[in-house]
Amino acid sequence: MISNLFSMGNYGFFVWSSFFTTLLVCAIFYIRTRKTLKKYEKEFAKEIEDLSVEQKKVILENSKIASQVLSSYNKSI
Amino acid sequence: MIKFFSNSNIFFWIEKLTNFINSIFFIVLLVAISFALILSPPDYLQGDSVRIMYVHVPAAWIGLASFFCIALLSLVNFIFKIKNFNLISKSIAPIGLVFTCLAIITGSLWGQPTWGTFWVWDARITSMLILAIFYIIFILSYKLISDQKKADKISSFVAIIGSINLPIIKYSVDWWNTLHQPASIKILGASSIHSSMLVPLFLMFFVLILYCALIFLMKYKTEIIRIKKKNLKRL
Amino acid sequence: MLTKKVKKRVSLLSLVLILSVISIFLILRSLTSNILYFQSPTDIKNNNDINFNKKMRVGGMVKKNSITINDKEIKFIITDFDNELKVSYSGTVPNLFSEEKGVVAEGRLQDKKFFVADRILAKHDENYMPPELKEIIKKDVK
Repeated sequence: MISNLFSMGNYGFFVWSSFFTTLLVCAIFYIRTRKTLKKYEKEFAKEIEDLSVEQKKVILENSKIASQVLSSYNKSI
Repeated sequence: MIKFFSNSNIFFWIEKLTNFINSIFFIVLLVAISFALILSPPDYLQGDSVRIMYVHVPAAWIGLASFFCIALLSLVNFIFKIKNFNLISKSIAPIGLVFTCLAIITGSLWGQPTWGTFWVWDARITSMLILAIFYIIFILSYKLISDQKKADKISSFVAIIGSINLPIIKYSVDWWNTLHQPASIKILGASSIHSSMLVPLFLMFFVLILYCALIFLMKYKTEIIRIKKKNLKRL
Repeated sequence: MLTKKVKKRVSLLSLVLILSVISIFLILRSLTSNILYFQSPTDIKNNNDINFNKKMRVGGMVKKNSITINDKEIKFIITDFDNELKVSYSGTVPNLFSEEKGVVAEGRLQDKKFFVADRILAKHDENYMPPELKEIIKKDVK
């Protein structure tokens, strides 16, 4: 049963390599996309932090997105 | 002002949806993989190499469907100039490219043991390659052109022209002699795949769709933040 | 709701689309012989100017009980149920090569009835089913 799972009736190489390639490509793609998102979140949060106190207050009051990104960023560190 | 609120609303829903998909993703993945690799029967002729179909066919479907969405959004965007649509098609394009390439790769891994060759220049496979090229042109057109408006215009145009390729891919196996077999699953009428093999096929399709949704949500979020960041600078 | 600008864009776009669809259709029409991955035995029979030195591909079904194997070569008959073509080939065949299954042979025509292949590809059909089911279907047919 187990050996059959690996050999796949002599098609093992093709079956496993196609599943493995798909899994690998999907994983790399996921990690890269996530990394870009985190990078942008970080830069965005930093830019808000660097603003003067008044500007920051105005932006956080007006923009839900800005406050959400900032709070999620602060949570993550 | 309305747009502003809708964007932040979308942002809120992206978070919720991402969390929901994350919570069910690995369970569904496990079920689908075990069906695809263990629980489903081998084919009477192809043996176990039929299992490659469970990644190949969903990947090809996603590749085609993504381009269809992009073309449709580009068409509406080209006529009515709705900015959000461009963000959406920009976020879909890399997903479509990845899955088109996966369909081609897994297809050749299936072709070697069954047909006896990795690659042939038949109508189906060549038109699939052309789809991948259209994806690359689409992505490059907004990566290389720095002027936002111009990039939007050109990439929408590429998508609309590229959509002519979609019916060619779909019907290539019916119009011409190809090495690739005709469609097994028809929109109308019975499919020629036995139900015990349809279960893993649709499960894998579901998993990959969930995966695409995760990637899409992340990409869309990135695009929104990118725009917000630009607006911040303008203040 | 439809402004003038929108109408202009729609008409421009539909013009471009129609033109490109027509031109692609014409291009594909003129390239048909190149797009066809293989020819059927009937195509060969009806074609009067065949270049016998040029490599070509012939496809169809392997006729039932037509495969004969000796040490040097495999001989079989490709049929499209109207016309037939004898094929000779030496080399290994793909796993899925068998009688009453699709096949594509690449090589040269000796004459209109005889083809020497230097590559054999198996063409799979669109049916997928477990082995047990195939047995049941076989019994029903008998």
